[in-house]
Amino acid sequence: MKELMLGNEAVARGAYEGGCAFGSGYPGTPSTEILEYLAPYENVLVQWAPNEKVGLEVAVGASMAGARSVVTMKHVGLNVAADPFFSAGYMGVNAGLIVVSADDPAMHSSQNEQDNRWLAKAAKVLMVEPADAEEGRWMMREAFALSEQFDSPVLFRMTTRVCHQTGVVQPEDPVEAPTFDYETDIFKHVLLPGHARLRRHKVEERLVAAEAFGNESNLWNPVFGGSNGVGIITSGVSFGYVREAMPEASVLKLGLTNPLPLDRIRRFAESVKELIVVEELDPYLEEQILAAGVTVEGLARRPYFGELNLPLVEEALLGEGRDKVTISLAGVEIPRRPPTLCPGCGHRPVFKVLRDMKLNVMGDIGCYTLGALKPLSAQETCLCMGASIGMAEGLELFAGGKVAERVVAVIGDSTFFHSGITGLIDLVVHGSKATVLILDNSITAMTGAQPHPGTGVDVRGEEAARIDIADVCRGVGVKRVAVVEPYDMDNLEKVIAEELAADEVSAIVVRAPCVLNERVKFAEPVELDLSLCNKCGLCIRVGCMAIREKNGYPEILADLCNGCGVCVQVCPQEALTIPEKVSS
Amino acid sequence: METGRIVNVMLSGVGGQGILTAGRLLALAALHRDLDVKMSEVHGMSQRGGNVDTHVRLGAAVPSSLIPKGGADFLVSFEKLEALRYLDYLKPDGVAFVNKLEISPLTVALKQPNYLDDVDALLEEKAPHLIWVDGTEMARAMGDVRMVNVILLGALATRLPFLREEDWDAAIEQRFAKPKVREAVKAAFREGAAVCPSP
Repeated sequence: MKELMLGNEAVARGAYEGGCAFGSGYPGTPSTEILEYLAPYENVLVQWAPNEKVGLEVAVGASMAGARSVVTMKHVGLNVAADPFFSAGYMGVNAGLIVVSADDPAMHSSQNEQDNRWLAKAAKVLMVEPADAEEGRWMMREAFALSEQFDSPVLFRMTTRVCHQTGVVQPEDPVEAPTFDYETDIFKHVLLPGHARLRRHKVEERLVAAEAFGNESNLWNPVFGGSNGVGIITSGVSFGYVREAMPEASVLKLGLTNPLPLDRIRRFAESVKELIVVEELDPYLEEQILAAGVTVEGLARRPYFGELNLPLVEEALLGEGRDKVTISLAGVEIPRRPPTLCPGCGHRPVFKVLRDMKLNVMGDIGCYTLGALKPLSAQETCLCMGASIGMAEGLELFAGGKVAERVVAVIGDSTFFHSGITGLIDLVVHGSKATVLILDNSITAMTGAQPHPGTGVDVRGEEAARIDIADVCRGVGVKRVAVVEPYDMDNLEKVIAEELAADEVSAIVVRAPCVLNERVKFAEPVELDLSLCNKCGLCIRVGCMAIREKNGYPEILADLCNGCGVCVQVCPQEALTIPEKVSS
Repeated sequence: METGRIVNVMLSGVGGQGILTAGRLLALAALHRDLDVKMSEVHGMSQRGGNVDTHVRLGAAVPSSLIPKGGADFLVSFEKLEALRYLDYLKPDGVAFVNKLEISPLTVALKQPNYLDDVDALLEEKAPHLIWVDGTEMARAMGDVRMVNVILLGALATRLPFLREEDWDAAIEQRFAKPKVREAVKAAFREGAAVCPSP
């Protein structure tokens, strides 16, 4: 029976069908939904890890114990997990071990668009790439056996348009997963230099064997015959554009993309008159095919960055722009609609205060990164998960003068657990005087409300251990730990000023539940008395969707306002008020 | 139109308006009709009050999931500015269904009005075939403003004759479990169809 599934849902289905017994990972767009869809299946244990590295390490242990395992993350998450990932390539697997990397070409929700196919090659592990939701299902189902056959973790490389594509899927019954017992084997599992050198040869032998397998595999690397003499080599989401742009071309569709099946590629090249590679992001296939002595063209025909789409692939293959746009919007300046903090969000008063105090704010990754944008304009950096704390230490050490006195780090709760704690330890150990604000909304909000170690529930919503962030700060040696709520902005400013003035590192845990996740409603919508308004614009500058400009005056959108009162506090004219509750 | 060629439906609006659900219902109806379907959406950062789009492509075989600019048979917009933003996705003979609703983007300064005064006129001028739907008001009158997505879908359905009533019913039943909700959704769908006379 055919079903409609999101790509990530289909991948979860495939994991279930493939006998997956354990799933871990850390939320990150576009990978997040995989574990959420996997969690309800029977006979599989699913856990959110505090970060990708830990998630992979637990999965390596589970694989050694005989459990087919999957770990999910976004592309930059694999950087965090790179240490175990590279060495797990040497260690190999017992039961199948799949590492999902969800790359984000065009950076819809990411800070870079790195092409993680290189990481499979660098780590010398197998890699598969689904093109759509149904391939996501069957490739995941089959990937466990592939992992076991070649004694290699498998990088399951997806991209945004595969993860977040909904398509028709043909679910099958689950396989009977083979059983593997845990065996002590220090030559395989203790990567001392002497043992690792032995494993190094196994790694190479595995790649040779997998290449031979790929050369003959019609399942993983199918060829679609054509009639116009053009041969196209492609993988992943690009395949669909290729079929649509030039249905009469021959296509070698690579599903197993590390190691590349070079003999199969050579045979395919000989069967066509002209050979073109169509791939997204880096020339990963192209460079290896050229290095194998096969003449091919690819990058020269397409942009080196961003996503492909049908018009771009048509241009690449047909050599001409088929510009079908006939409705011109030239000359019409359509206002942008950037994402913004929700009405009532507890991050808003924090950034309002930080902006007014003119602090140098080292920022981090989450909803609160939006605090960098106008009109809050309070956060000055966003590098990677957890970076705010270490960057604050470095800035304070060397910026000198006024800047050094005004350095704070702002980091979210989930990000703090992910990789902020080690940064904080560095501040403590080296006597930094920086102030660290940990914005605690009790959830991983930006990715759609996943629990973290401070939430107290698991992926299924059941009660779990809860770790208190203030306790963690004290535990690593921070002596000045304050806990505040953000909506009383005078108090918040007072606390921040006190901690900035302190001659040692401080942590301020700012607690406010996520209004979106908890459906927080503070009060009735704020009321505006226009006769008192002097059009100063301060309320507009808190950057709330529920306040807009109308004829030079602010206007409160009652449908959106949830009565948090931040705008009421900034109004010098007392034109804004929270209505008295009418007792029923 | 028996979908030998691919039919492209672009849905656009602001995060939180029920656009994904509308796309899903359309895709489910197509699947019930035994068509191939691919749909593309973006989650994550864009959901925080930003503009949101969902591409739905239906046909005998649909290789890829993104609608090219100039390639949409239909544009269904939940908000006027987001209709204008995505208007160049329409084919020259495409039809735009536009919900009569304005949601201002975030205002960052008082002296910087940020909604186009002439958005109605621009849509009237530039859209080849424009159908206004007072979806938000209709939904409010029904007592559930969330129904706006189903009302717009009902309007769209009048132009998709290859999807039968039973396909839509099956989609609604698959998506909504509670009988009361199903009936409300079906009623909203019919009201949406009623405001949109057949071509």
